[in-house]
Amino acid sequence: MNTFMDSPVMVMLSDPVLYLGLGQGLLLTLQIAGISIALSFVIGTVLGAMRYSGLPVISHVAATYIEVVRNLPQLLLILVSYFVLGLPAMWAAVIGLTIYTAAIIAEVIRGGLNSVMTGQWEAARSQGFSYLQAMRYIVLPPAVVKMIPPIVSQFVTVIKDSSFAMAIGAYELMFKGTILAAKYWKPEQIITIYLAISLIYFAINFTISQIARRMQTKWSAGRGTIGS
Amino acid sequence: MADLLANIDFLQEGPFSVPRWEALFANIGQLWQGALVTVLVASLGLALALALGTVLGVMSSSQWRIPRGFARGYVEFFQNTPLLIQVFMLYNAIPMLVPGLFIPVIAIGILGVGMYHGAYMAEVVRAGIQSIGHGQLEAALSQGFSYVGAMRYIIIPQAMRIVLPPLTNQAVSLIKNTSVLAIIAGGDLMYAGDSFAGRYGHYGPTYIVVGLLYFLMCFPLARLTRRLESRTRAN
Amino acid sequence: MKKSGLLLLLSLVLVVSAFALAGCGSKEPTEPADPGNEPAAELPAGVQAIKDSGQLRVGVKADVPNFGLLDAATNKYAGMEIDLAYALAERMGLTKDDVKFEAVTAKTRGPLLDNGQLDVVIATFTIKPERLEQWNFSEPYYQDEVGLLVKKSSGIKGLADLDGKVVGVAQGATSRDAVQVEADKAGIKVSFLEFATYPEINAALESGRVDAFSVDKSILSGYVTENSVILPDGFSPQDYGAAMKKGADDLTDFFNEMLAEMESNGDMAALLKKWNLS
Repeated sequence: MNTFMDSPVMVMLSDPVLYLGLGQGLLLTLQIAGISIALSFVIGTVLGAMRYSGLPVISHVAATYIEVVRNLPQLLLILVSYFVLGLPAMWAAVIGLTIYTAAIIAEVIRGGLNSVMTGQWEAARSQGFSYLQAMRYIVLPPAVVKMIPPIVSQFVTVIKDSSFAMAIGAYELMFKGTILAAKYWKPEQIITIYLAISLIYFAINFTISQIARRMQTKWSAGRGTIGS
Repeated sequence: MADLLANIDFLQEGPFSVPRWEALFANIGQLWQGALVTVLVASLGLALALALGTVLGVMSSSQWRIPRGFARGYVEFFQNTPLLIQVFMLYNAIPMLVPGLFIPVIAIGILGVGMYHGAYMAEVVRAGIQSIGHGQLEAALSQGFSYVGAMRYIIIPQAMRIVLPPLTNQAVSLIKNTSVLAIIAGGDLMYAGDSFAGRYGHYGPTYIVVGLLYFLMCFPLARLTRRLESRTRAN
Repeated sequence: MKKSGLLLLLSLVLVVSAFALAGCGSKEPTEPADPGNEPAAELPAGVQAIKDSGQLRVGVKADVPNFGLLDAATNKYAGMEIDLAYALAERMGLTKDDVKFEAVTAKTRGPLLDNGQLDVVIATFTIKPERLEQWNFSEPYYQDEVGLLVKKSSGIKGLADLDGKVVGVAQGATSRDAVQVEADKAGIKVSFLEFATYPEINAALESGRVDAFSVDKSILSGYVTENSVILPDGFSPQDYGAAMKKGADDLTDFFNEMLAEMESNGDMAALLKKWNLS
C-alpha cells in the first residue's frame, strides 16, 4: 500500500524528529509541573501555618496573599514572572505556577486538617496522647486521605496550565507541538499533531487521577466512621 | 514636589516608571474594550457551563449505561486535557476540516471555557445528586413522579444548595480562564494588555492594571463562595 | 480492579514513557575546541567581565533558517547570527563551547537583556529609534525588509490585494507598524491579529484565520511551503543589529570593531555567502 505510507500523515509519523520534539516538550512539561508542585507544597504549608497561626500581622499578610493570588489568572502570573521578574522561561513558568498553586495548597491543607481537628483531637488529648502522637496517629492519617483528591486535582491542573508557558517561549509540549505544526503544515498533519498532544496530556493526567482514586479508596477503606 | 519625584530613580526609569504609567492611562481605552470582551465571554461561557454541567451531571447519575458512559467520557476528556489545546483545535483545526468555517473568536472563547468548565460542573452536580441518596429518588418514584419529574422537583433543588459553593468556585476559575483568548488574538482583557505592553515594553503598569481588573471581577464571586460555604455548613 | 482496567492503565503508562524516553534520547554533542587565534590584547572592562565569567550568553532565534535555527535532532544551533556569536566569543578569548545560546522570540528578547539574563541578543533584531532608547545596538550587520507571506490559493498578488484583509504579526515586532504605514500609503485598510510566536501565525495562515503573515522576509523564508508564497512587495528596510543592555558601551564598541574588521577583510561577505544571504 505505497500510497498509504506516502500519505502526509504517515510521512510525518515516520519521522523521528516528530517524536524527539514532542518527547523533549513532554520532558520539560513534566519538569516544570513537578518542580512547581514540590515548591508549592513547601510554600503552601508555610503559608497555611502563617494564615492560621493566630498571629495578627502574619496571618493577615498570608490571608491577603492567598486572597489576591487566587483571583488572578495563571497566564497573567506566568507573564509577570517572565517580563517583570525577568526569570528565564522555564523558571518563570515554574514560579508563575507556584505562586498560584501554593495558595491553593495552603487552603487544601487547612480544609483537610479542619475536618479532623476538634472532635478527634480533643478526644485523643484527653486520652493522654501527646501533641505529636495525636497529630501522627489520629489527625494526619484521615486528614491526608481527605486531602488527596484536591491535591491530585491541583497537580493535574498544574500539568495542564503549564501549556500557558508557550506564550513566553518555554519549549514545553504545547509550544514544541506548534513548532512541529509549522514544519508539518498540511491540515491532516496539523490535526494529527493536535490530537497527539491531547492524547499525551490525557494519558498522563488520566493515569495520575486513576492512581490517586485507587489509593484513596484503598486507604479510606478500613476507617469506618472515624475520620471519614 | 515634581523635582523630588524626578529625582527618585525608581519612578523615572525601570519597569514601573512614571512615563510608563502615563502611556498606559493614555491608552486605557484599549484595556476597557478588552475587559468588556472578557465580561461577555465569561457570562455566556458561564451560562453554557452551567447548562452543560447540569445535563451531564444528571446523565452521569442515571441508571442507564449509555448516558452515563457518554457523560463519563466527556468529563474525563475535558478534565484531563488543557483548555489551550481545546481552543487551538476550535481555532485552527475546524477551519481546516470544514474549509471556510470560521467560528468567531469570541464564540470560541465561550465554547472553550463553557465546555471545559462544564465538565467540572458536571462532577459537582453529580456529587450533589448522589449525596441526596437513592432513598429520596425511590420514594419520589413510588409516589408516581416520573424520573425526570423526580429529578426536577425533588432531587435537584436539594442538590443545588450543596452544589452552589463549588459551582461559584468554578465560576471564578472560568472568568480567569477566559484569558486563554490572549493566545489566539481574541481581543480580551489579557490580549489587550499584552498587545499594548508588548509594543513599548510597559509591562509593569499594564500587568498591575490587568491583574486589578481580573481581581475586581473575581473577588466578589469568591467571597460569595465563602459565604455560601459557611451557610451550608451551618445547615 | 478489573483486568481490562489494569491493562488500559498499563498501556497508557507505556505510551507516555515512550514519548518521555524519546525526549531523553537527544544529547548535546560536544564540539572540539577551536585553537585561539586572537592576540591576548587588553580587553575593555565590560568585555573582560564577560570573559572572566567564562560564558558568553547570547539570545538567538531558534526558528529562522539561515539566521538562527535549532536542529531538533542534534540540539545544535546554526545560522549566520550563530556564527557571529562564535566570532564574538573567539575575539574575546573564549571558545565556541563557552557560548551559551538561549532561544528568544520577538516578544522575549528585550526583557531578557534588561534583566541581565543575556549578554547580547543577535536575533533578527531591527534597529529602531524608540528601541535605541531602551537598549544599546551595534552597527547594522544585515539589512532586510518586511514581507508578506500568503497562500497561493488566496489569489493575493500584491499589497493592494490586502484591502480589508487580516494580517497576522508577532507581538512586539515592528512588522505591524511597517505594514500599517504601507497600507496608509496605498490607501487600503487592513486589520491585525497579534500572536506570541511565529508557528502560531503560520497555523493561522494555514487555517485561513489570517490572510497574510507579515514579518521580516528572512524569517518568512523559514515558513514558505508549496502552498504559500512570499509576495514580491518588500518595505520598510530593516537594519539588524546586535542588542545589548543599555549602557553596555564596552561590549557595543567591541562588537562594532569586530564587524568593521569582518567587513574590511572579507569575512562578512564569506559569511553571507555561506548562508545564502545577499
